[in-house]
Amino acid sequence: MEQTEEQEIEKLEVIDAEPVSTTRVDGAIVPFEEEKLHSEDVQRAIRLYILLPFAFLLVTLFGGLRFNGTDGSVMYLSPALIYLIFGATLMALFFVAGLIRLDGWVSERFPITKNVINGITLLAMYAACVQMFNSVIPESGVFFWLVCFCFFWTLWNNLFANFDNKKLLRSLAAMFGFAFFVKYLLLTYLAAPAEQSLVSSILNNPGQAAITWLFSLPQFSPATGYLQFFTIIIFIVALYFFPNTTEE
Amino acid sequence: MKPKHIQILGIVISTMFALFIAFLYATEPRSLGELTTKAGTAVGDALTKGQVITGTYEVDPAKFAQGLALFRSGDYPGARSAFQAADPETRDGRTQFYIAYSLYRQGWGRFASDNKLFEQGLEVATRADKLLGGTYISDDADLKLKTPAALRNELEEGLRVTADDFNPMRALEERK
Repeated sequence: MEQTEEQEIEKLEVIDAEPVSTTRVDGAIVPFEEEKLHSEDVQRAIRLYILLPFAFLLVTLFGGLRFNGTDGSVMYLSPALIYLIFGATLMALFFVAGLIRLDGWVSERFPITKNVINGITLLAMYAACVQMFNSVIPESGVFFWLVCFCFFWTLWNNLFANFDNKKLLRSLAAMFGFAFFVKYLLLTYLAAPAEQSLVSSILNNPGQAAITWLFSLPQFSPATGYLQFFTIIIFIVALYFFPNTTEE
Repeated sequence: MKPKHIQILGIVISTMFALFIAFLYATEPRSLGELTTKAGTAVGDALTKGQVITGTYEVDPAKFAQGLALFRSGDYPGARSAFQAADPETRDGRTQFYIAYSLYRQGWGRFASDNKLFEQGLEVATRADKLLGGTYISDDADLKLKTPAALRNELEEGLRVTADDFNPMRALEERK
């Protein structure tokens, strides 16, 4: 019996004697692997609790910003009621597709601070979804209803489709990308420049003037398009880094 | 740094940023210059509301004095603007009385009065009367109507159409 104990002790000694790479943290020597894990935890926490909500809030801020075509002043467009419905549908789509697992984000097993910041992140995500629609749907006229109908059709179909995370992200990028193309390239090309007076726009390009008037096309500064392009990029990148659960 | 500290930091940053976004969409500043002006106004309003809640609200004496000087010089719109700046929460009866009086004097006419200004004046005079509790008597020698009730009565008389309005002798009446 004693011999067995001695053998075990020898084994332990051999294990303890194994060379382990270490690093110095606050004056104390800790194993390198342990420190690496700690560093990864911190990075993950920064991504989850600071960068993600910040990115979604940034999209929320930028989504409703426009620059006036005549004097370049900033305009703030509040979302239409239908965007709130679209935003809710998109959130539902995230849950159905498994991009978000509710019990992986808000749960009684988590500490209160984690639940609070996770709740804020989900709210910020919803606000960002709403503002994304605000960003890419034309503000008024026939095109507003036309694009709204297209979005409604697509979202409704997607709700009953089998999506995994990657396919959903690709679909969303394509959907918002196409809407961006329609609003900020196609319709902007059709609209008469804002700096032109009504008379000169009718004389120089009657077709453009007629389309602008007929479809109530907004005349924003080109800076609006640049800003909204980066807004869509931020939204898609934030979704790409969005984990379905925050459980460790 | 522990994850809990990062979570708390995240809550603080996100809340502040969300409040900033709400502020921007509520005030709609059109440029960076306007943003600082509106932020200053918002902070000033918040401080005034805080004073009201804590019971330390007071009329700005410098702005009140400026309003009084403008009132006496006959610049009634300017006086009202200064009085409103002195009492942004419309809680000081005396200031409200002067605002109502400025509306009366500006709206008064020898042959016809400005009904719109008189209606506004009546509203402010009623508010002043409520705030002062009916016991206030002005010691300002420049004012002939010494109480909010007298001012209200004068404004109501001005708004009412009576046979006396067509009396040519009325043209000899003086503004009070």
